[in-house]
Amino acid sequence: MTTANVEVLSSDAGAIEIAVTGEVDLSNCEVVQDDIFAAITNHLLTVRLNLAGVTYLDSAGLRILFALAERLRLLQTECQVMAPFGSASRRVIELSGLSNLVELRP
Amino acid sequence: MRRSRWATHRALLETVADVMLLLMPRSVDSGGHAESRLRRIEAVTDSALAHLDLEQLLPELLKRVRELLDADTATVLLLDSGGEHLVAAAASGIEEEVRQGVRIPIGEGFAGHIAASRKPLVIQQVDPTTVVNPLLWEKGIRSLAGVPLLAGGEMLGVLHVGTLDSTPFTEDDVEVLQVAGDRLALATRTGLTRGERAAASALQRTLLPALLPAIPGLQLSARYAPGEASGVSGDWYDVFTLPSGWLCVAVGDVVGRGLAAATVMSRVRTATRSYALDSDSPTEVLTRLDRHMRHFEPQTMVTMAYAMWEPSLSRIHLSLAGHLAPVLARPGERAELIEVPVDPPIGIGTAPVQRRSVTVGIPQGATVLFYTDGLVERRDRSLDDGLALLCETVATGPTEPLCSRVMSRLVGTSPTDDDIAVLAMRRQEAEELREISFELDAIPEVLADVRATLRRWLPSAGATPEEAGDMLVVVGEACSNVIEHAYGPLGGTLSLRLEAREGEVLATVGDTGHWRSPRGTHRGKGTELMHQLSDDLRFEHGPGGTLVHIRKNVTGGDPA
Repeated sequence: MTTANVEVLSSDAGAIEIAVTGEVDLSNCEVVQDDIFAAITNHLLTVRLNLAGVTYLDSAGLRILFALAERLRLLQTECQVMAPFGSASRRVIELSGLSNLVELRP
Repeated sequence: MRRSRWATHRALLETVADVMLLLMPRSVDSGGHAESRLRRIEAVTDSALAHLDLEQLLPELLKRVRELLDADTATVLLLDSGGEHLVAAAASGIEEEVRQGVRIPIGEGFAGHIAASRKPLVIQQVDPTTVVNPLLWEKGIRSLAGVPLLAGGEMLGVLHVGTLDSTPFTEDDVEVLQVAGDRLALATRTGLTRGERAAASALQRTLLPALLPAIPGLQLSARYAPGEASGVSGDWYDVFTLPSGWLCVAVGDVVGRGLAAATVMSRVRTATRSYALDSDSPTEVLTRLDRHMRHFEPQTMVTMAYAMWEPSLSRIHLSLAGHLAPVLARPGERAELIEVPVDPPIGIGTAPVQRRSVTVGIPQGATVLFYTDGLVERRDRSLDDGLALLCETVATGPTEPLCSRVMSRLVGTSPTDDDIAVLAMRRQEAEELREISFELDAIPEVLADVRATLRRWLPSAGATPEEAGDMLVVVGEACSNVIEHAYGPLGGTLSLRLEAREGEVLATVGDTGHWRSPRGTHRGKGTELMHQLSDDLRFEHGPGGTLVHIRKNVTGGDPA
């Protein structure tokens, strides 16, 4: 069984920071996506997704990030993804071309 | 031949005797002819009855009793496991009693009164004031006689007969009934003991893992032997993985014997697994289990060794609750008991304590042997001698012959009082792991297991952390593809083969389904990733399924 945790680290009128920790694969990607999407309202200007604590991410997790980027573009909300160099998700995200759609931060 | 002819003759004679008895009416019988009385008693103590199982004996004996006493009903009620009710076990005449599961509280009504007083009882008035079971008065029973079923001073139930006419049962009748009752009581007790033993051993069989989990990197073997004196009791062993990749081991002993100990064991085992799922350390699991047992099983004591293997398999974290320390054999060293402080057992008799654990390094090729006290405790040998013999016997090497050797040297041919559980775990050497393959159900839940295996194996195959991370994603993608696309709703299997070579690792992911291209939004990223993160990727589609061959160069040194 794969487990991940989605937690809102900080939230004010304009911005929210959501941290994902654990592993994301086919078995839990829907739950993780629902948790992330549920934390975001249409009033926000910036959404920051912190993936520093993710220990495994594959295309199932990338699907979440692409879907999020697409939704936020529609809402005209800025999307930032934080994946430190050397972290499990960084390489997969770099290779995926997601950085064309979101602001990828270390 | 001779024997079977004799048996036929005997059966015939018995039938004749039965028919003769049948022909004798109750009124004549109650006249008190010594001879007929003897015959009547012989009919229920007939040695042929001894060969019947309890299930066959009950109806046969009830039939005979009914005929002998010219009664319209005969019923056996047995004490249920709670000890406060009688439950209809067999009936002749009013069979509905059994079908409707008639229950009589001890001390109430006719049968309940016999059970409470342990004395025979005859009544002439059958109505709601004297009898609990409405079936009896509804059917028009007017006269009842009953006796307690006693065996070895233990009250097992009640046997009673009833008639539609109001002629009272005589003292002679009650005497015959009591002889039948004694016969039934003995047979019932033997049957119950036998049934209990069978149930305990069936329970043990279902609870001990028939197949130990296949953990690439670990070799496992186990033995369980019931005690000859007491049969199965409460020993068990259990091995299971956690979602985090940690591997848990429990070996324990519920103090007590027979079915009672075996059922408690089944609950302890389940509780241990539950707490293991939410705990990071052996002491936490044992502390929670202790609290659980004190509350839900207050009369129970359990000794237990609980260990958690790190996903790398290079160390175990071990805690003991009143249990003997496992034996560790490192390559090239003498086997010895692991030095670990022993904390009190789980459950009654002690105050809750701060539990302790030790962390022990397990080098490649080393063996850890867990066991219960039955293995080393003998009447004719001191515990220290038993432990010394065990340490002398345990050595590195394949676990299956090790278990056989341990059982042979420590148990040998002498009968054992207590049951014995032994579990041997050997960390395999990198050389043995150059090539591993396994098969899994193609369901999303196995992806975490696949990663746990890869995380253990890749470093030993020479992959640097970065290379291992890449390989984790490539193999994960290939497995996800099988799970998502290869099969219909019936599902199928996923096979994985890993091979370490000079400067490279190979992985082959296979299915036996039909290829279809990925569907849905934001899909197709997976294949792209697989190409980017591997050095060679080849899909082999065939009529029997698809194989994905993955090759990745590794620079982390020679696999060794």
